[in-house]
Amino acid sequence: MKYLFVLMNQEGGMEDASPEEMKEELDRWDAYGKEAIGNGVFIAGEAVQPSETTSTVRIKEGEEPVVSDGPFAESKEQLGGFYLFECKDLDEALEYAKRIPYRDGIVEVRPAMDFSEYGYESPTPGPIKATAA
Amino acid sequence: MRFLLTLIGPEGGWEDITPEQVAEEMKHWEAYGKETVEAGAFVAGEGLEPTQTAKTVRGGRGEERVVTDGPFAETKEQVGGFYLLECKDLDEAVGWAKRCPISEGGVEVRPVLDYAAYGYDDPAEAGATPAPKS
Repeated sequence: MKYLFVLMNQEGGMEDASPEEMKEELDRWDAYGKEAIGNGVFIAGEAVQPSETTSTVRIKEGEEPVVSDGPFAESKEQLGGFYLFECKDLDEALEYAKRIPYRDGIVEVRPAMDFSEYGYESPTPGPIKATAA
Repeated sequence: MRFLLTLIGPEGGWEDITPEQVAEEMKHWEAYGKETVEAGAFVAGEGLEPTQTAKTVRGGRGEERVVTDGPFAETKEQVGGFYLLECKDLDEAVGWAKRCPISEGGVEVRPVLDYAAYGYDDPAEAGATPAPKS
């Protein structure tokens, strides 16, 4: 079953980090992602740029979409990234979520919709196969 | 350049619809998804089960992390799905967002981290989604 981890956090804190600190931070994420790939659970995952880079398109059926700068909702916590993992059940997904290497933040864990009940296959390909480095 | 499109909108409205209406609704998503694939933009994308299925994990690094039922924030609008698209620029990404077949809500368009700026040639080296095989 596919689970989406939506990572929310307070922004900032890394602006004044030295390249060494940045490297150390990224190494943690690197290790986590690689472990997930090695375990055959990793489908997709990205960190996103700061919320100031966000464009929001508001949509209402029958009306022209409206584009504005900034996130959909101004809140203290903002989207920082996501993972899409193939896990055998929710417990396994929660174990991975608990180990996400953010310094401080919140992870929302949501099962991906089961399209099979509508006669559709999931649009996203399966987990990435680990390849020898 | 990769962009994350986060689909946000009011939940519900699907509980009482007929299988025919579901099929009709799915047609829009199927067509849109296929178009993103054929344009070479599609990297990943999913619809999500309702927020009543959500669990939220809180706690900083080194702390015991606590799991609670429900979404991160109790708001009228919730994340309903996402697309990860490869686009040449923001305009193209916003163009996809404008055509996303949601009936009401919004699409947040965010560029993903520029991993190359941190010395990673392939995002996979940074533990992110690998570049598509060409």
